[in-house]
Amino acid sequence: MNDPHRNSGAAAFADRRDSACDDAELLRRISKGDEDAMAAFYREHGKVVLAQVLLVTGERVLAEEIVQDTMLAVWRGAASFRGESSVRSWVIAIARRQTRDRLRGRALRVVDDAFLADQPSSNPGPEVMALDRAKLAEVKGAIQGLASAHRELLGLVFGSGLSLREAADVLEIPVGTVKSRLSAARTALNRILNEKGQNL
Amino acid sequence: MNANSTHLDLEDLIAEVTGQAVGEHAREHLAGCEQCQLEANRWSLVADGVRDLAAEAAEVPEPARPPRTGRRALAGPWRRAAVIVGSVAASLVLLVAIGIAAGLVHVHLSGPGSGSGSETTLTSVSGCARLQQANGRLERVNGADVVIKTASGQLVTVTTTATTRLDASGALLGDITNGATVTVAGTSSDGRLAADLVIVSTNPPSLAVPGTVTVRGTVADAGAAGFTVVTSAGNRVPVTTSGGTAVSIFRASLSQLQDGGRTMAVGYPGPGGTLSALAVLQPPNWPVGAHAKLSVRNCSSTAINHEIMALAYGG
Repeated sequence: MNDPHRNSGAAAFADRRDSACDDAELLRRISKGDEDAMAAFYREHGKVVLAQVLLVTGERVLAEEIVQDTMLAVWRGAASFRGESSVRSWVIAIARRQTRDRLRGRALRVVDDAFLADQPSSNPGPEVMALDRAKLAEVKGAIQGLASAHRELLGLVFGSGLSLREAADVLEIPVGTVKSRLSAARTALNRILNEKGQNL
Repeated sequence: MNANSTHLDLEDLIAEVTGQAVGEHAREHLAGCEQCQLEANRWSLVADGVRDLAAEAAEVPEPARPPRTGRRALAGPWRRAAVIVGSVAASLVLLVAIGIAAGLVHVHLSGPGSGSGSETTLTSVSGCARLQQANGRLERVNGADVVIKTASGQLVTVTTTATTRLDASGALLGDITNGATVTVAGTSSDGRLAADLVIVSTNPPSLAVPGTVTVRGTVADAGAAGFTVVTSAGNRVPVTTSGGTAVSIFRASLSQLQDGGRTMAVGYPGPGGTLSALAVLQPPNWPVGAHAKLSVRNCSSTAINHEIMALAYGG
């Protein structure tokens, strides 16, 4: 394949691996009250966390407030990081809890994974074909029309760059459920594109 | 590889799309399998969509360019404050647009001792033929009139209305009272936030500036040495203030404008040497000697207000 994005993804993954030790060191310094480390942590993770939260909430101001609270939680709780996960997934898990707390009480759209689950097929149907025809802008619009649980997972995997295992840890669900939810998300995405009759 | 078929499973496809490690066998299969390549391309398109959305979401408004005064860049907390406020400017456009339609200020011009107003103290604004501005220091407030003293010593009398936009900055720590909504930027230490800048506004701006800790919420426990910010989530953040803390009050009252503070008025000239201005602002970060020249894209209120705010608060 000659997909230019593959290289950027690989580079980002390599960067993540290289920065893993730096992240842990940043948290150690933050736990000792190092403001510069907190600033560096914000630079490293702030945008990713904001993007992830915004993808879930769809509300910019709310998302920024959640990031603010997340960073406060990091400042206060850096010492609690035990290295059992990547720092990226750790901070996103914090943001997710903050988001959940903020959204508690709102009417949430419940996604039934079993209902939406899609099994890979060797003969792609018209819904899959819709994705083949779609332009990037159309896909972006369709992603925003997904249920929040689907947006959240796509954000974790493709936006935040978490592995399926890390995403499962953040979401507190089995890896198998992550896979079925991913497939369901793409099915829903295809359905949205197909319903809109978007094609090239 | 998928145990039930010869094709790549979802985990391999995702790993391939995200650039994570893929087994040699899977990579060899992908190289020769058109179906798996198509499937990977579909996931790549989804991934690109998410990444694009993430990139758009995480964009922080660029701070406006500082006035071309030849001065050196501000340093330390002031630079941070300038960056912060620059980002605020963009978020204010809609707010300002609401107030600008009705927010006219009448500016009367007069040279010192002449009282005639024949010597104009206004400068033209490029991009909008009729728009003019006056820069200087606040000499005094007389009732609804604001008197600005320009660098050449001329006095500009500004008559305000109830809907005039007034932004004040300066020694306003005493105006940070319990219940006020604020956005605080500063440095954290020992669980406290040492404030470089406090913005008091009933509709506080959103700040997300790398390198600076920002907190937004409601003021409680206001005292001489600081206050507590209670965030919407109920977190309580103690804030310390000092003589170096800049305070800006959006939608201020006339009494909150600071005597001697750098002041800018922008508006349209009227009959008899008057000027109907759009706003009177005291930015928090204008150094002595700066003379900000306004330039706008066009005469629309949105464009004008965007540039006013960028000029006043952009650094």
